[in-house]
Amino acid sequence: MSEPGKVKATPLQVAKAVFWSFFGVRKRAQYEKDAVTLTLQQVVVAGIIGGIIFVLSLVMLVRYITR
Amino acid sequence: MEAAHTHDHAHGHDDHAHHPTGLMRWVTTTNHKDIGTLYLLFSLTMFFIGGLLAFGIRAELFQPGLQYWEPEFFNQLTTMHGLIMVFGAIMPAFVGFANWQIPMMIGAPDMAFARMNNWSFWLLPPAAILLVSSFFVPGGAPAAGWTIYAPLSTQMGPGMDLGIFALHIMGASSIMGSINIVTTILNMRAPGMTLMKMPLFVWTWLITAYLLIAVMPVLAGAITMVLTDRHFGTNFFNAAGGGDPVMFQHIFWFFGHPEVYIMILPAFGIVSQVIPAFARKPLFGYASMVYATSSIAILSFIVWAHHMFTTGMPAAGQLFFMFATMLIAVPTGVKVFNWIATMWKGSMTFETPMLFACGFLFVFSMGGFTGLVCAITPIDIQIQDTYYVVAHFHYVLVAGSLFAIFSGTYFWLPKWTGHMYSETLGKAHFWLSIVFFNITFFPMHFLGLAGMPRRIPDYAMQFTDFNMIASIGALGFGLAQLLFVAAIVKCARGGEKAPANPWEGADTLEWTLPSPAPYHSFVTPPVIK
Repeated sequence: MSEPGKVKATPLQVAKAVFWSFFGVRKRAQYEKDAVTLTLQQVVVAGIIGGIIFVLSLVMLVRYITR
Repeated sequence: MEAAHTHDHAHGHDDHAHHPTGLMRWVTTTNHKDIGTLYLLFSLTMFFIGGLLAFGIRAELFQPGLQYWEPEFFNQLTTMHGLIMVFGAIMPAFVGFANWQIPMMIGAPDMAFARMNNWSFWLLPPAAILLVSSFFVPGGAPAAGWTIYAPLSTQMGPGMDLGIFALHIMGASSIMGSINIVTTILNMRAPGMTLMKMPLFVWTWLITAYLLIAVMPVLAGAITMVLTDRHFGTNFFNAAGGGDPVMFQHIFWFFGHPEVYIMILPAFGIVSQVIPAFARKPLFGYASMVYATSSIAILSFIVWAHHMFTTGMPAAGQLFFMFATMLIAVPTGVKVFNWIATMWKGSMTFETPMLFACGFLFVFSMGGFTGLVCAITPIDIQIQDTYYVVAHFHYVLVAGSLFAIFSGTYFWLPKWTGHMYSETLGKAHFWLSIVFFNITFFPMHFLGLAGMPRRIPDYAMQFTDFNMIASIGALGFGLAQLLFVAAIVKCARGGEKAPANPWEGADTLEWTLPSPAPYHSFVTPPVIK
């Protein structure tokens, strides 16, 4: 899906986009930037990592409560 | 969004050239509009069959004691009502909308795999025949609930086999339909239509299609294991042979919970098209809507065991699934907020599609809140398997999915038929539906909180009054749906000529086409500026 010569997003940018997608809110200017710089591979990888972090943080919270 | 196109009128003259006519037109069609119509008619038929079964359920529950049915048959009624409504009515209706609308909304000439599209649809009638004919085999239809939990499902008569085959076929149809939709959306958008310029209905369907591809094989796996347990001596779910019946529930709900979102995300999409059109304002927070939809889709994979709190699980597990489930309220809340913000200070008018969209917002939110109540583990342990849960999921599925389907139907009928529907019929349909819907399902909250179990043909005396009210409401709701058919038939047969864009505020590509939409549209892609 990526076109040659376009600027790739930094890992931090990808992480931010994925974080906000989990929350379900995004500023217009930010998403417009996302739309041109993010590649599909970056989003999928970051999404999987984000999902794992999300599940692990829930598990840690649960551990903390039930210890 | 603006589009420039000049080609469609020129092609008008050969609209039906080289096509079989009569019945064969529908059997052999590869046209997305014809297939969309087939899906919608199929779904309407199944909606009435499922509704008839609901009548049977509510008739029996009008009074305590056994009036009409043996308990075994009552279980068949509840099971088949669920299976038919989920797999026969709601899901195919949304695929019908996808077929009609997605190519027109993204400026594509047709779906990517036109022949597979035909096959996806024509798998459904045989599956429906298998499913419904299970009533007539020895032992009757599946009676294990729509969740077909083992060991009930491993012990039933041949009706369960017919049900399993039907689900397999419908699953294959759904997977093919989804592959088609994903391919179409990713590859066939008109030049200039980036992903973030797509109408929200297209976005929600893209995400739904991914969900379908991810979870339909899981359902197929679960029911195949039931099938081999039944006939080939395996013991996946048989505790006596070393298996585990609870494993079935885990596998089923790993499919079942995303399935819930499969049935609601396209509804969100429809409402997100209708509300801006009738508020005459662009959708508030488009980007947030897209992100919220994907968030809901992601979360849907990690909440499945909230359906199973009472099966016994460690406190840590209960807390995990409780927290994860409650977090879904965040993106869902974002959506509801955005819809209301879209209406805020808009120039609103309340034609039938908007009425159903507003009804959706009001009643779906109530269903969402009762969902949160169910998500709280200690409360769920009290109310699971009671009428509270029945009330909850009918609020999200009838008032959510079904009302959105009604809204979308009235919204796009002028484009599909070339005629305006009768506003009088539409409004009567809406008001009767929303009133009778609440008469039917609101008392069920009280019944559930008072402890009335679901899936029973008889109940204790103290539940009588609310059950009578619910049954009267159900009769009214069912009869009100005849108005829907009347409105569609009247609109299809004639009426006021619809302009290309009958709605002031609608700005997606399909409204740039004449009404009715020509048989072949966007042969030359429009250019999106």
